Amino acid sequence: MSWLGESARKIAALFRGWRLSADLEEEMRLHLELRHEEKVRAGMTPEEARRAARRQFGNTTLMKEDSAMVWGWAWLEQFMQDAIYGIRSMLRSRGITAVALISLALGIGANTAIFSLIDALMLRSLPVKNPQELVMFGSGLNNGISDGFPNNELYSYPFFREMQTRNEVFTDVAAASSMLNLVHGTVEGHSAPEAMHIKLVSGSYFPTVGVQPVLGRMLGEEDDRIKDAYPVAVLNYGWWKQSLGGDTNVLGKKLTIGSTVFTVVGVAAPEFFGHQVGESPDMWMPLAMQKEIPPGNDGYADSMAESLHLIARLRPGVSRAQASANVDVLFQQILRGLPNVPLTEENLRKLEVMRVDLQSLATGFSMLRVQFSEPLKILMGVVALVLLIACANIANLLLARSTARVRELATRQALGAKRSRLIRQLLTESLVLALTGGALGVGFAVVANRLLLRMLSGSGETIPLNLPLDLRLLVFALGATVATALLFGVLPALRATRIELTNSLKEGRSPTGMGTQPSLARLLIVSQVAVSLVLLTGAGLFLRTFVNLARVDTGFNREGVLLLHLDPASANYKAGDPRLNAAYEQIESRLRALPGVNAASFSLFTFDEGTWNNDIWVHGYMDGHQNRDVHHNVVSNDYFAAMGIPLLQGRTFEPRDSASSQRVGIISESVARNLFPEGSPIGRHYGSHDAKNADSTEVIGVVKDAKVHSVDERTEYVDYLSRAQVDFFFLNDLAVRYKGDSSAVVSAIRQAIRDVDRNLPISNVTTMEEQVADSMPNQRIIAQLSAFFGMVAVFLSCIGIFGLMSYVVTRRTNEIGIRMALGGNRTGILWLVMREGLLLVVIGIGAGIPLAVVGGRLVSSMLFGVRAVDALSLSAAIALLALVAVLAGYLPARRASLVEPMAALRHE
Amino acid sequence: MARSDTLPRDEIPPGTLDLLILKSLARFGELHGYEIANAIQSASEDVLRVEEGSLYPALQRMLVKGWTTAKWSTTAGNRRARYYQLTSAGRKQLAVEISDFERVIGAITRVIKTA
Repeated sequence: MSWLGESARKIAALFRGWRLSADLEEEMRLHLELRHEEKVRAGMTPEEARRAARRQFGNTTLMKEDSAMVWGWAWLEQFMQDAIYGIRSMLRSRGITAVALISLALGIGANTAIFSLIDALMLRSLPVKNPQELVMFGSGLNNGISDGFPNNELYSYPFFREMQTRNEVFTDVAAASSMLNLVHGTVEGHSAPEAMHIKLVSGSYFPTVGVQPVLGRMLGEEDDRIKDAYPVAVLNYGWWKQSLGGDTNVLGKKLTIGSTVFTVVGVAAPEFFGHQVGESPDMWMPLAMQKEIPPGNDGYADSMAESLHLIARLRPGVSRAQASANVDVLFQQILRGLPNVPLTEENLRKLEVMRVDLQSLATGFSMLRVQFSEPLKILMGVVALVLLIACANIANLLLARSTARVRELATRQALGAKRSRLIRQLLTESLVLALTGGALGVGFAVVANRLLLRMLSGSGETIPLNLPLDLRLLVFALGATVATALLFGVLPALRATRIELTNSLKEGRSPTGMGTQPSLARLLIVSQVAVSLVLLTGAGLFLRTFVNLARVDTGFNREGVLLLHLDPASANYKAGDPRLNAAYEQIESRLRALPGVNAASFSLFTFDEGTWNNDIWVHGYMDGHQNRDVHHNVVSNDYFAAMGIPLLQGRTFEPRDSASSQRVGIISESVARNLFPEGSPIGRHYGSHDAKNADSTEVIGVVKDAKVHSVDERTEYVDYLSRAQVDFFFLNDLAVRYKGDSSAVVSAIRQAIRDVDRNLPISNVTTMEEQVADSMPNQRIIAQLSAFFGMVAVFLSCIGIFGLMSYVVTRRTNEIGIRMALGGNRTGILWLVMREGLLLVVIGIGAGIPLAVVGGRLVSSMLFGVRAVDALSLSAAIALLALVAVLAGYLPARRASLVEPMAALRHE
Repeated sequence: MARSDTLPRDEIPPGTLDLLILKSLARFGELHGYEIANAIQSASEDVLRVEEGSLYPALQRMLVKGWTTAKWSTTAGNRRARYYQLTSAGRKQLAVEISDFERVIGAITRVIKTA
């Protein structure tokens, strides 16, 4: 174990570093003095004695170095020396250092920020035991309640129970509501109701996923066995801390939602946020209590209420393929055996070919991942390019500086310094620069992360995504930093140390040195310009995409519309409650009377909110293959006025359309065109699903097609039913068309609603314009960020051009002076210098054009209304780049043209 | 001219510096660097010549290995000096080095004496 003591002594020595060398110096000095005295006593003169003592002792410096080396820290000491030297030289040229640090911080910071999002969304494992054993049924992309049959995305509770008992491949199967329900409930001891995001899960959910409580217990099978029997809740750790202040007496606390009182039985482990990345329920409750979440919901025993995502844990040794085989067989058997399922010939045909896709849940499931993975990859590419440009810039700065240091380096080599040692020193200096930039970059990333998350979240609540500054991230940032340092440091270091010694020592500023040196610098400028062109062109494409999307005709007038969401269920209204209809009517009429409000209408949905859809059957219609899937909106009479959807034929709803009159519907123009061919649809009949309902609804009007989910979707079929005739409990969107100051109108609206029912919670207020903008966060974010980074790239390239040209001008001051002395005019000189810079830019642009074309092709799937090779974007990018390049070149060129010939000639 | 500069002296055989230092410390207990140099020189009756500076890296190495400890103290002439002392590990090391050295010397002697 002697190495142990040895290492301990070495480490101890490291901390006494300066003391150690001071000790050594002192004892050597004593030694020399004693020897000197001895010689003097023996009769030497003091001078002779001193020399003799030294001779006998040997080379003091060497001995000192050898002694220090014994402790094994020589490399560290050298590194520190180099680092300190590096810092000193950084401080000497502050301008260069500042530019380098800013570009590094931006480059490394942006890379780290984007990487942290990619990490959180795509790479990190779920914080549960053995996440790689978890699978999910279906893609998980659908959510809501469906009554479509058969369905391999959303499942009913009875299906889940059958699958749980009959499968032979899973240790257990769990179900979770596909929706995160927002309700308003009151915590015992709190005065006002508050918003709560609740996830309904089966009793098997926590055992299957494998999550432990920090307090109390998790939900278990017994909580979910009997309908409505156990009103219990497990809290999310974050919500417990935030809303209840981490109260340790929380167990047994009551939560009142609607008319039911829930009891808190546990708090989940802090790291657990559910199985869906980017969604964080405030609490989990058993599916058996779904009648209360939201109040009025009830699908516990209904095999046609398909609203669940299924999750399962593979038995040890069972592969996903084996599990799939078993699940596919059971899927067919179970669906055929469930009560009250529509086993029509058409449905059976569909069922026969339907399979269940089992996907791995190792990194959790995320809508965000599906939505954002493409844009994040593009952004990662963009910021990587920006970092490259920054590297090129810094390499150029270092090149210029090492040229200025040619004499220093040559002197050191002449004195015997090894080339490897000098390279090491230069690289250390680069590393110091990069590390400083990297540290700034990490700071920048922390801020940028929040900003990015805000941008991704749109105008709504911030996405609950955990973006900690963890080890992985720091390792990534460090890796990026070191790679950067090597990238920008190696070439200048090699270049600077490859020196014809005598030449460099003789001449301060040799024309030969200049010929080779800037060729590398020029190459760097050319590549910077080329990459900048790629980024700018990309930014142009994305901006045009965004503008195109913003210009798409949505079918409704998005300006001047406020959107509110009410939560009547939490205010104790029941399904079919006549009081609610009365309240809605009152609210609508009060709002209409407000100054600045033109129309107000409740509806089932407006835009990008999820819909109720199923097949319709038009009277007399026979063909069974056409798409008949229609989104049904349930609206008040003023809906079309509030949304600004033009009426094309017939009429809109009127007071005479009541619960007791003929059920009427208004269809969109594409429904009229494709499903009601031959003649006007007004007065004709249709219904849902099949022929037996075909007479239920009479068409009274046709309105313009309106977008449903997204701006870039193909036209979807929509029909509108009257709220007076269709009782739909989850109807709680309120659209208000207004004029003037929105904030004044909003507070007037709030007051009016409070006057009708002061307990009715308003959960969300936004404008239609925001709603539309939020529906395309990708395009918006990519457009904004790519434009931003495009400008950063151009800015960096400008600095590069400016730096190089300034350098060239300084080097050529003599020459310029001679030219002027010989009668050269200022314009000629100006042009001489400008020409050099412009040539580089032109070559860079030439090299960039094919790259930009390739880049455009790579991102073509993200574009809308613009081709991958877009002349406008490309020429705008070229023009902008050329313009700023001219500016960057002009300043040094002007300086050159103002040179006084005599001063220049004396200038050496 | 001082005597020490006129007499011919031999470089110490490589690898034996540690042995000489350890032995000197074993003999005198506590020495500082200058005394160690003098001890080696006088014990060898002025035959062995040590480049005195090279004592110091060797002493550092012994500190690292844990064969010696060092402490600051004052000399007879009232000057501050660092005194080195053997540890038990140092004593063991001395025994090892002596037996190694004797083995080698014995072998060399046998080679030379073989006629």
